[in-house]
Amino acid sequence: MTPAQALQALTEVFRTVLDQTTLVLRENTTADDVENWDSLNHIDLIVAVEKKFKIKFTTREITTLKTVGDLADLTAKKVNAAP
Amino acid sequence: MTFTSFKFLLILPILVALYHVVPQRCRVLFLLIASYAYLASFSLKAAVALAVATIFTFLAAKAAGNQASPQRAYFAFLCSIAILTLYLCIFKLAAALPFGKLAAPLGLSYYTFKLMSYVIDVYWGKIKPAASFTDFATAIAFFPQIAAGPIQRPADFLAQLPPSRIAIWMGLSRMVWGLAKKLLIADNLAPTVNFVFAHTHTLNGPSLLAGFYLFPLQMYADFSALTDIALGMGLMFGIVGPENFNRPFTASSISDFWRRWHMSLTNWLADYVFTPLRMATRSAGTAGLALSITLNMLGVGLWHGFTWGYFIFGALNAAYLVADVLTTRQRAAFFKARPNLNWLGNWMGQLLTLHLFFIAMVFFRAHTVADAAWLLSHLGIGCRALASSGTLASIGSSTLFLGLAGYALLELAERYRPDQWWARLEPSAPVWAQWTIRCTLGTCVVVAFFLITVRPGGQETSFLYQVF
Repeated sequence: MTPAQALQALTEVFRTVLDQTTLVLRENTTADDVENWDSLNHIDLIVAVEKKFKIKFTTREITTLKTVGDLADLTAKKVNAAP
Repeated sequence: MTFTSFKFLLILPILVALYHVVPQRCRVLFLLIASYAYLASFSLKAAVALAVATIFTFLAAKAAGNQASPQRAYFAFLCSIAILTLYLCIFKLAAALPFGKLAAPLGLSYYTFKLMSYVIDVYWGKIKPAASFTDFATAIAFFPQIAAGPIQRPADFLAQLPPSRIAIWMGLSRMVWGLAKKLLIADNLAPTVNFVFAHTHTLNGPSLLAGFYLFPLQMYADFSALTDIALGMGLMFGIVGPENFNRPFTASSISDFWRRWHMSLTNWLADYVFTPLRMATRSAGTAGLALSITLNMLGVGLWHGFTWGYFIFGALNAAYLVADVLTTRQRAAFFKARPNLNWLGNWMGQLLTLHLFFIAMVFFRAHTVADAAWLLSHLGIGCRALASSGTLASIGSSTLFLGLAGYALLELAERYRPDQWWARLEPSAPVWAQWTIRCTLGTCVVVAFFLITVRPGGQETSFLYQVF
């Protein structure tokens, strides 16, 4: 999986969790750019990503993410490393 | 020597002038010495306690950031967080116990959180350990923020060193704004609020309602004034600090409210308490979410001190937030299906949020939980102003009117931000206009300090949030 493919898949997950059918994610998108994306539902998004790709993130990984691009890179890396 | 003391008025311009002329490479050291001198003016012990905590954290973070030995890094991280938590709790607990009072060092709650976030950020790999001890110690002790925040993460402060963008006039205008809030609004609302909460059991009806509605307004005017003064002073020394408020009483829900109130504390807790808890409990679904919110909001309450009032304040807000988060989707679906009711939903949301928070604030302010319960249970009973010991009218309706009128102006000003208009206009304004505004700002500061010093009783006023 490439980061670009991960970003495309993440867009679907975000649209479902945040209930925003027209949401468009870019590599440099941050939580400040997306309506209703706050600390309360941030982990809901992470859990949805974990379920979709059957991967696990650590707290340290989550807290160092700055943009959606970072999340896409990390997701692609974990999916590719999975057995 | 508080920020509103006459002594401070004399010292601040001298500090700013000296800071302007010292070479840029010496500015951080200058700030460090000024910060410790400021702290020592309150208590030498407080300055020593801060120095010890700073040295300890600086060394502990070096070990916590040791990539070559993850086990040692983890051990250093755990030990340092445990020791800093213990350091904070000992003083908080001592203050709450009826015997053997142990005065907490000034700014304890604020700088301990700065220290903790630094160790955690280093351990998580978000930042590298600071190379310079002077830079790090200055980030922790920076005197405009030491007494009452905002809680600026060391990483954010260190990225601005050495300070190069000194904005004296912008800082001064922010200070004037803060002083106006404090003098015209908070201090005029204070007598009524103090009276109501000092005589809770002898009052009912309108008097209790006055206390119920006015205390949160006083608290907001007072605390945000202190933040304005701290941020304004920071700008005068080239440091941009984090905002603490964003028109909180216009929030449409309780979760929206907590994104607008005491933001530097709530963001800190969201990053270092809520997120790790939520990650640890994510397999537990809704129960995990409720538990994380509850522990986080209890943290918000108990950060102020270990009392039942603060505990209930935190617990009530936890209950509000859990209810808010668990019904978000249903409410959104309800209003999506009925777009003509959106205006009503917004109004109801604002009113409900305001009242829910005001109820929690009664527990925050009342001397005992019994006083708070009395106040809340007698809000609507009778129109008798009071039973004994003076009347609200004796405080003077003019001060109350001034306070309320000032508060209305505050809401308007924060909505339309005239200071931002001036910031945009200033570069193109003629020199005479720029200096007229600057001289007016300087005069306002002098007059404000003078008013504070010569007020009845001749005492310096203290800020509500300077005690934490």
